[in-house]
Amino acid sequence: MTETAAEKAATARRDRVFLVVVDDSPEREVALRYACLRARNGGGRVALLRVMEPVPMIEWAGVGAMMEEERREEAEKLLSGLGAQVQEITGSLPIVVIREGEPRDELLTLLEEDPRISILVLASAAGSGGPGPLISALTGRYAARVRVPMTIVPGGLDDKELERVT
Amino acid sequence: MQVYLPIAEMSVDALLLMGLGFGVGWLSGLFGVGGGFLLTPLLILIGIPSPVAVASGANQTLGASVSGLIAQWRRGNVDAKMGTVLLAGGVVGSFAGVQLFALLRRVGQVDLAVSLFYVVVLGTVGALMVLESVRAILRRRTAVRRKLHEHTWAHGLPMKMRFRKSRLYISVIPPFLVGFGIGVLSAVMGVGGGFMLVPAMIYLLGMPTSVVIGTSLFQVVFVAANVTLLQAWQLGTVDILLTLLLLAGGVAGAQFGAAMGTRLRGEETRALLGLLVLSVALSLLWGLLKPPGNLYSAGPAF
Repeated sequence: MTETAAEKAATARRDRVFLVVVDDSPEREVALRYACLRARNGGGRVALLRVMEPVPMIEWAGVGAMMEEERREEAEKLLSGLGAQVQEITGSLPIVVIREGEPRDELLTLLEEDPRISILVLASAAGSGGPGPLISALTGRYAARVRVPMTIVPGGLDDKELERVT
Repeated sequence: MQVYLPIAEMSVDALLLMGLGFGVGWLSGLFGVGGGFLLTPLLILIGIPSPVAVASGANQTLGASVSGLIAQWRRGNVDAKMGTVLLAGGVVGSFAGVQLFALLRRVGQVDLAVSLFYVVVLGTVGALMVLESVRAILRRRTAVRRKLHEHTWAHGLPMKMRFRKSRLYISVIPPFLVGFGIGVLSAVMGVGGGFMLVPAMIYLLGMPTSVVIGTSLFQVVFVAANVTLLQAWQLGTVDILLTLLLLAGGVAGAQFGAAMGTRLRGEETRALLGLLVLSVALSLLWGLLKPPGNLYSAGPAF
């Protein structure tokens, strides 16, 4: 009996998905590394979400279309680079999601839509300027809309400390 | 509420001016444009002398663009090096433009020249905008692909410079000339010129789109400031009361427009803007063509 329970737990662990929001902050690296290490050590996969800024209103349609294209290409390039990094640590490619809009809203919608995601991993900014806009929003006014447990990694942790806590 | 404008030498309803500023500010916030190209012709249409209208248009563009530039600068979307080269051309161009303006004024043809410039430039730009949006509405998604790093004769020019942020290694001559052209337009028409600068930067200079808006604002702000200064100093055509009233309305209008603009996007909006630009050009053309009410009285040679 105990064996089947353990097996069940093992498959469940493999199924869990750590979602990392890929923004342009320096602490993104820490969140990503934490998620990768936990996925490697305890089983599971990593998902990457990149939210593109919507293209502003431009007089020329051609310029607007080109702008959108370049942003998408840039996002894809960034994510494939990070994807290789994730594969190196966890051994499997991450789930990649690209959305367009306000990062907070897109993140919440994704959490509602995708039941595979089990843990949201965010890293707080290391400086004294607050933890960052996403953490402030999701632990404050929007806390009720978060559908999964959330892990906040201190942005100042180095690799050795990350190894220890995962 | 009539106020006397000391430089324009006429009385205008202050509420009308504030309303005009509000309307233009609202449209510029809505469409994300400077607004000078709408304000100057509208001022001309309500009877403000062209030189004063042009100077005020440049001033309004300056006011409307500064906050945009600050926002873009913070996000690191300004290529300052490219902006400086464009600006150098822009300063020279606006200086030349103001000289041209002074010359036209001496020969008494400034009203005609400003209107003609507007009819030609706005007519072309408006027609292209409408065409482009109609085509896009009909076909929806059209993949516009540009060849990256295409080699043209422009790459053979001397004085090459590396623009790290734009990922370009090109001669400084094309950006200087582009800046010069926009500077002349800015001085003669009282526009910022962003609507022509943005496509020029992308299609002629090959800059990446991410830095285009910020860099064009960089150029527009400083060139518009230079134009205002030169107009005030050399021609004495900046009416501070007029500008203040317009800006008061414009600042409020821009907030409303920007809030609405995030909900309003896409081809239909663009077609609307194109139609607006075209109708301004047509009304100025009509002003040039219609027989004057009194054939034998000459207006004051401003």
